[in-house]
Amino acid sequence: MSELSSTTGNLEVPYTPPPVTPKLPPREWIRANLFSSPFNSTLTVVSGLVILGILRGLLSFLFNPIRQWDATATNLRLLMTQAYPEEQYIRVWVSTAVILILSGLSLAVWRAGSAVPLSKVGRNLVATGATMALLTLLAPFSASATVQWLIASAVVAAGGEGIRRFSAIRSGSVGSAGSVGSGGSSGDDGRTVTTLTLLGVALTGLVVSLWVVPYGHHSFILDRTPRVMAEPGTVAMTTKLPWTVMLVILVAAYFLGRSLRDRLPTNATRATLLVSWLLAPPVLLYLVLRDPSFDMGHVLGTDLPIFGAYAVGGAVLLSWLTRPTTGEVGRIVAALVLIVGFCLFLQPMRMIVRIDMLMLACFALAAPTFAGGQRARRRYVVGWLGVLGVSSWLITAINTPSTVDVPGDFFMGGLSLTLLVAIFTLVVSFPLGILLALARTSTMPIFRLLATWFIEFVRGVPLITILIFFSIMVPLFLPRGMHLSELAAVVVGYSLFSAAYLAENVRGGLQSITRGQHEAAEAVGMTTGQKTVFIVLPQALRAAIPPLVGQCIGVFKETSLLAIIGLFDVLYIARAVMPNQTEFMGSTRENVLFVSLIYWIFAYQMSKASQRIEKRTGLGER
Amino acid sequence: MNDAASNPETSSPAAAAAASGQTRDLSGARDMIVCEDVSKWYGDFQALDKVSATIKEQEVVVVLGPSGSGKSTWIRCINRLEVHQEGRIVVDDVELTNDMRNIEKVRSEVGMVFQQFNLFPHLTIRDNVTLAPIWVRKKPRAEAEEQAMALLERVGIPEQADKYPGQLSGGQQQRVAIARALAMEPRIMLFDEPTSALDPEMIKEVLDVMKTLAHSGMTMMVVTHEMGFAKEVADRLIFMEDGQIVEQNTPDLFFSNPTEERTKLFLSQIL
Amino acid sequence: MTQPTHSSSTGSSNTHAAVSARVPLWRDVVVLKWVTQVALLAVVLGTMWFLASQAGDNLRARNINTDFDFIERPVDIQLGEGIDTHPDTGGRALWTGMVNTLRLSIAGIAVATVLGVIVGLARLSDNWLVSRLASTWVEVLRNVPLLVQMIFYFSVLTTLPRVGLDTGPINGWLHISNKGISMPRVFIADGFYQWLVVVLIGAVAARFVHRRRTRIHDETGANTSPMLWAIGTVALFGLVGLFVHPAFSWLGGVFGAVAELLDSLPVIVPQVVLAAAAIGLAARWILRFLAAHRSARGHLALTDDDWFRVIFTAAASLAIVFLVVRWTGLSSWILNSGRDLFHVIEAKFDVDGAARPFDAMRPDIVQKGKFPNYGVNGLTLSLGFAAVFFGVVFYTSAFIGENVRGGILAVPKGQTEAALAVGLTRGQVIRRVVLPQAFRIILPPTGNQYLNLTKNTSLAIAVGYSEIVQVGTTVFNQTGRTLPVVAIWMLFYLSCSLTISVIVNWFNVRMQLVER
Ligand SMILES: Nc1ncnc2c1ncn2[C@@H]1O[C@H](COP(=O)(O)OP(=O)(O)O)[C@@H](O)[C@H]1O
Ligand SMILES: [Mg+2]
Repeated sequence: MSELSSTTGNLEVPYTPPPVTPKLPPREWIRANLFSSPFNSTLTVVSGLVILGILRGLLSFLFNPIRQWDATATNLRLLMTQAYPEEQYIRVWVSTAVILILSGLSLAVWRAGSAVPLSKVGRNLVATGATMALLTLLAPFSASATVQWLIASAVVAAGGEGIRRFSAIRSGSVGSAGSVGSGGSSGDDGRTVTTLTLLGVALTGLVVSLWVVPYGHHSFILDRTPRVMAEPGTVAMTTKLPWTVMLVILVAAYFLGRSLRDRLPTNATRATLLVSWLLAPPVLLYLVLRDPSFDMGHVLGTDLPIFGAYAVGGAVLLSWLTRPTTGEVGRIVAALVLIVGFCLFLQPMRMIVRIDMLMLACFALAAPTFAGGQRARRRYVVGWLGVLGVSSWLITAINTPSTVDVPGDFFMGGLSLTLLVAIFTLVVSFPLGILLALARTSTMPIFRLLATWFIEFVRGVPLITILIFFSIMVPLFLPRGMHLSELAAVVVGYSLFSAAYLAENVRGGLQSITRGQHEAAEAVGMTTGQKTVFIVLPQALRAAIPPLVGQCIGVFKETSLLAIIGLFDVLYIARAVMPNQTEFMGSTRENVLFVSLIYWIFAYQMSKASQRIEKRTGLGER
Repeated sequence: MNDAASNPETSSPAAAAAASGQTRDLSGARDMIVCEDVSKWYGDFQALDKVSATIKEQEVVVVLGPSGSGKSTWIRCINRLEVHQEGRIVVDDVELTNDMRNIEKVRSEVGMVFQQFNLFPHLTIRDNVTLAPIWVRKKPRAEAEEQAMALLERVGIPEQADKYPGQLSGGQQQRVAIARALAMEPRIMLFDEPTSALDPEMIKEVLDVMKTLAHSGMTMMVVTHEMGFAKEVADRLIFMEDGQIVEQNTPDLFFSNPTEERTKLFLSQIL
Repeated sequence: MTQPTHSSSTGSSNTHAAVSARVPLWRDVVVLKWVTQVALLAVVLGTMWFLASQAGDNLRARNINTDFDFIERPVDIQLGEGIDTHPDTGGRALWTGMVNTLRLSIAGIAVATVLGVIVGLARLSDNWLVSRLASTWVEVLRNVPLLVQMIFYFSVLTTLPRVGLDTGPINGWLHISNKGISMPRVFIADGFYQWLVVVLIGAVAARFVHRRRTRIHDETGANTSPMLWAIGTVALFGLVGLFVHPAFSWLGGVFGAVAELLDSLPVIVPQVVLAAAAIGLAARWILRFLAAHRSARGHLALTDDDWFRVIFTAAASLAIVFLVVRWTGLSSWILNSGRDLFHVIEAKFDVDGAARPFDAMRPDIVQKGKFPNYGVNGLTLSLGFAAVFFGVVFYTSAFIGENVRGGILAVPKGQTEAALAVGLTRGQVIRRVVLPQAFRIILPPTGNQYLNLTKNTSLAIAVGYSEIVQVGTTVFNQTGRTLPVVAIWMLFYLSCSLTISVIVNWFNVRMQLVER
């Protein structure tokens, strides 16, 4: 270091962005990036010490023998699905499989994944091996464990180096592969693999490790005197078998998607997939997981007639409204339907009748926007029938008692509840947020005023006060005879909160649309509705993707607040349930650390995905 | 461009006369646009001051004037992109009032081409052209696409139909914009400085399309600084300043013999 | 969409009016526009009224009281920490909670800003290790929910060793134990308010000095560093004030007189003042608005939106007048609280001459009963406070760091190059060119982070720190007044948000002026 301290640079300027570093041989790279000046060298030494200290502390925390990691291992199922009954667990696996099938198909249809040079994979593996070795040395392991881990790191590093050389040979630069000095730059245009292949290999590795690595078999025996079972060996068959099946399903779905992708029209396939994604959560939740026991008499006697009436009446009304010749009378009729809908809503009667009426009013109001020829009209009516059918069936399912026998007022908990609340919040708050943003940017002052007040009010108060308000107070505001479970009330609170933030993001997108776009749309005679649907929103939402994804991450993280109001989400279980089990007294730190890891993995992946989307659309636009 | 040039729909005798460079006699034609004492204010600033003019069917009117003189404001009032506050505007016997039906009718009969093209960047060229016919004119998609291809051929760029606007040059974009306006089968076309945002070599291709359009008998109102175009195609020139019409005349008389002092000054600066 | 108002009568408008009259109402765009809006307003108000009436019925049926009287009623609450750990009324308890929230927020904002700037600069560092460390910091902290972090910190802190009479690490200066962290405390003593007066005078003086030095710089071009001079002036006054502040104890009498005056005023006075202010402001606004829409020739052309604004302003001012006149309680409340405020200030000046403005004390550990505990001398951060504090500070620092990094990267490279090209030194480039531009980009999102931090302190309820939400929950559990407590929460947070937005906006506007 002493010879480096002679390189006295001018005043350190940490403000200017770092230039794109060309690939340097290791020694020069170290000199340029770590020891370029005395100040820089000091920084390196200090931060290096800090990093070593932190790592050492973390490792001795993690591998301290008094840590109760078997608390997490034993309670994994509790953390994931709370007390979902063992006999019916196949339902959970079916739901997972459906999600995985959709994911596999979507990955294929949207052509996810990008090519990574094999040499880079090799380099990363070498680095991983080195890091592992460093961590092993820092960790408070016994001698034999240290040796084992060191061997493992050496294997990883050697594998990486092997891949690197292999790719260098294959790309033809045999000569330079041997020279260590320029090794970094040699294999760049060599062979590549896609990130999906890497993902597949990693997942396969994980699943295979379930069969071979002795993680141990931990479970909770729920007897009269519940006890913990811990056996050596690989994990239980009830864990490794389903996960293997899941992996097979995922891979199969991906390849199915690939073959479909080339046969079917792209847009139709994507639209179908999107609708499936939208339908999947409610269907899985209310049909698969909750397993309602439909009362056929009630369904045939009440639900079907109501559906039939709305289907026929709505179809006739809408096909008349979408006739191009209908004109303004149509608008007046649509407004009347809306008024009737509102009046109905305030009357005590079957919820389904009121909701259907409001939906019909929305469709009627939107009808002039989608008016057109025979085909357009038919499509609109079919859309109405689809939405009506799905929602009628869902409402019926929600109102039917479940066969799943679970204590407490909701049949799921843990991570599933967390994900569920996040998904439902997003599904509800997206349309709401878009409407609020449109109102806030509208030319109508009262709309603007109301939207602004609502948004600024919600953004001005903390989420927890809204959640407490909704979980305690909502029953007081409902008309008699109407019930909303605490969870539903809380989801409404979440949705309103998140809608206000989403609205601000969408508003940013709306403002990025030039006045010329509005004028061009108006000049060809589009109505305000058509302009919004066909011109403004597609562009605005595309422009707002990065902040919208950020907001999705925010919603996901905010689900942890469920723990404060006492709902059994993953954090609540980790903090308040598990540390009270007699076997695992005071295991809070371990459990919470595990929960943070779960949250971190999800949120980090989402933010990475958002960065990729940003890059992709950025390239596509210009 | 060849396609467009070889396809002049010289349907009417008046258009034929215009094509041969003579001054047309349009005194018998019906009034397409009538403006009576149109005034408009932005806050305390008066942008239009009692503008009165009548434009006949098949007439091509070029509006001239210094920047900020209210040309755009006037032309945008004619399809209700701006709302005039006093006076009357009647387009094809439909008066522009707060009546929704009248506004819709006028908008679908008047095509407009902007200085900045204003194509929809998220749609392909084909979708740009077919969107309005499908959703406003309620045409079946197949028919609309057929017509779109015919129009794109007419403006000389059928091969770009599946590209996005961002992938086209300025001149091509402006021609798409003209095709998009024509797809609504308008009876009147308004052009607001259609060539001002273009590089010199692209101006000609757009002007050529406009010329063919004029020769096919379209009623046109054009704000432009292209004096060559004005001399060659226009039936009448209108000169505006400070929100008022200062002078209007046939091209020959306007250039050779301007009556107003302000017109002379303007011409001396621009020519 | 036109509503032409004719100040000069013209003939042509007759035809126009005649034509307009023929437009059927259901096709008139202006009519439709306003009918839609009024309908929406009616629906919103109707829904709210409906919900409120339902709530009223339900509350009455269940015998739930929604009075605010708990504010003045005695409660039996013990708070973990704060200005008053055994508040005698509900209002006092909530007030303690508010102060705790404010303490936490202000300290958090200050520390998070410093840390965030360090993180942001570190991410831009040329040093690979440093920038890696910073980006790991950001990526880890940003992607784990704050609540999870807080609970983790809390659970780690609870495992600290018990407090003993000689708990370290530096006995008598710094104690860390499962009762929290205790360290030396500098606090405001009796003479502080007199000293503050001196400093305020100093600030006024500093303004003059600043202006003067700037003028000299403008005239001569000499480097006069006006900011340094201004700060120096304030420091000088502060220093001198340490010795001369007793000279200002007479101000207490002035405040007392004001309090007496407020006490003697009849209720009608604030009513009249408020009503006059409402009407006067509205009238001034309307007149200016009309003037801005009257053309040089005296023609007034208002669109329907303009009419809405005028009518809305007028109606709002009338509503305020109505409220003020009908609700005499408001006016007497203003008078009473004004009087109380001035009495409190008067008491602050009522000290003997030798009182020091500041004082400091070392922490202590006392053993009253069986177990030793921290005494009152030191600055003690309870475990809850520490967990929340570290939580919000670390979490927010990750976001602020990203803002700082983004803001600096957003300044175009051409700016630096251009500045170097005209011969500025590197330091000048950063101070005069890069930072001002970066600051303008950094400020708005960072202001948002300040808002978020303040709101996020409410998560302290999970670790039992007595901030307003936690105190409020205790209060409504004890008194059953959920609705009023929630209303107080929301009002409190809205005012905090508003204050921060106003401050940030003020800076924002100033930065925009700098830009021009
Ligand atoms: N939306 C607007 N708000 C206020 N003033 C406007 C607006 N649009 C145009 N103006 C003003 O009206 C005048 C006429 O504008 P314009 O019709 O665009 O002129 P031209 O097209 O002849 O250059 C200009 O002085 C312009 O500043
Ligand atoms: Mg113009």
